[in-house]
Amino acid sequence: MKDRFRSIIKNAAIASAIIGSVTAFCLILQQFVQAGNFVQLLFVLAVLFVARYTDGYVYGIVASTAAVVCVNYVFTYPYFEINFEIAGYSVTFVAMLIVACSVSALTTRIKKQEQIKLEAEREKMRGNLLRAVSHDIRTPLTSIVGSASGIVDNYDALSPKDRLELVKDIRDEAQWLIRIVENLLSVTRIGEGNARLAMQDELAEEIISGAVEKFKKRFPDISIQVRLPEEVVLVPMDGILIEQVLVNLMENSVIHGKTTTELVIEVKSGGGRVEFSVKDNGQGIRPSALPHIFEGNLEPDSEGEIDSKRNMGIGLSVCMSIVKAHRGDMSAENLAGGGAKVSFWLPGSEEEE
Amino acid sequence: MEIRDRILVVEDDKRICNFFRTVLEANNYDVILAQTGAEAHSMITSQCPDVVILDLGLPDMDGLSILKSVREWSSMPVIVVSARTHEKDKVEALDLGADDYITKPFGTSELLARIRTALRHTRMGLNKSGVPTGTFVSGGLVIDYDKHRVFVDGVDAGLTQNEYKIVSLLGKYAGKVMTYDYIIREIWGPNMKNDNRILRVNMANIRRKIERNPAQPQYVFTEVGVGYRIVEPD
Repeated sequence: MKDRFRSIIKNAAIASAIIGSVTAFCLILQQFVQAGNFVQLLFVLAVLFVARYTDGYVYGIVASTAAVVCVNYVFTYPYFEINFEIAGYSVTFVAMLIVACSVSALTTRIKKQEQIKLEAEREKMRGNLLRAVSHDIRTPLTSIVGSASGIVDNYDALSPKDRLELVKDIRDEAQWLIRIVENLLSVTRIGEGNARLAMQDELAEEIISGAVEKFKKRFPDISIQVRLPEEVVLVPMDGILIEQVLVNLMENSVIHGKTTTELVIEVKSGGGRVEFSVKDNGQGIRPSALPHIFEGNLEPDSEGEIDSKRNMGIGLSVCMSIVKAHRGDMSAENLAGGGAKVSFWLPGSEEEE
Repeated sequence: MEIRDRILVVEDDKRICNFFRTVLEANNYDVILAQTGAEAHSMITSQCPDVVILDLGLPDMDGLSILKSVREWSSMPVIVVSARTHEKDKVEALDLGADDYITKPFGTSELLARIRTALRHTRMGLNKSGVPTGTFVSGGLVIDYDKHRVFVDGVDAGLTQNEYKIVSLLGKYAGKVMTYDYIIREIWGPNMKNDNRILRVNMANIRRKIERNPAQPQYVFTEVGVGYRIVEPD
């Protein structure tokens, strides 16, 4: 309801601004040249613009009526009087009406098509995600069911050590599933167009330390260096989601870098943005995958370079959608000395410390 | 015969109940289970558990309303169980007097640690009201409540008055998460509108004074979206 009201106000404002400025323009022009056909032509143009930049037919039709009255009242002799007997009056009116209607029709159709295209794209993204998720979920589930039934069916035949191994596998796979579900939850949190992000000024160091703590629980052996600027960096963000992005990037560096032993997390602030980057000393990103890395549908290629089970697609596409929802962007590159660097930036807060 | 601590688990899912019972009994706790809010109510009053583990999502009533009614007459430790995405629930539960929260899904070591902390708090916390006295020591960090000073590795950290107030507030409830709103209310008073910025900036300064690396703190930790927590004393 409120949105609808706002849209009416907005459209009305656009329409009156266009008609108003054309009227003003004509009035000024009239000081210098004899009012002529150009007035009518300009008003037709105005009607066309109104129809183009407003939603639906109503504004265009209202604008054409207003334009006709304006032309009649202000710019045709006798000035400032309505005179219905001017020849061709009705023709002008009908012409403007037709212009308004047909342009409105075209505009509406274009907008609808854009909407459909957007929907289709969103649908495609959702499809990709769903495919990636089903794929990613099936493998750990298979392993969990297999290990669990292995224990149940052969309890006595297995040595305690074997049983422990299987149970540990179950735990690890379940943790992997948790990771996937958390990512999905993050997406649904931003996916609903009306659900606004819980934006708050957060300290970069706090978000990083939160992410590092979570990461350390799963990968205690990786050494992590954090480089922060001296000054206090406050960034408006949904802290939970950005923490998730950092955790994803760190885990990806380890899981897909394969030989990663060290991570460097760096924060740089300047030019109204704050950039976070995660560098690793792993194997780097396959060059052929680099351009599509954030698209969420990375298929394991024939060389099997991407671990067919641990598809990094969801993690990164989730990161991208979170960062985009913050009006930031992401990039990835391979480092000259080996390893990869994935970074994202967020708009900084308006008043700097 | 040893006296075992009695833990009431309020949780509606049978499998999770099962998990709680197995793990807690294996760790020498006396476990009682309640699957609905109504059951929980009667058990809390009749069985006097030492710790309550409360799942916020119950079939018959809101877990928070149980917490509220418990807090009307008792300060028994309540640990709230909640899902990761529900930060607001956690904050609300902590503000309503929950002692701690644990995020689903969690591991057993995490669960047991929370229970031990909660039990220790009640054992020690008999004189919780009022200003803490003496000193708080954890590793290189010393809070001297009498002198209003904080020392790191023997050196005065040079905290400002507000910074000291924040650290001593955290120290008073060491190990427990203090929500942002709670800290702001305690330090700047109730009229201070939820100004997170001022708290964040103070926190950043504190960290620069007491932590070796602000991004990998040893003493003061952030629970993103919820609040701050200081390490347990030695």
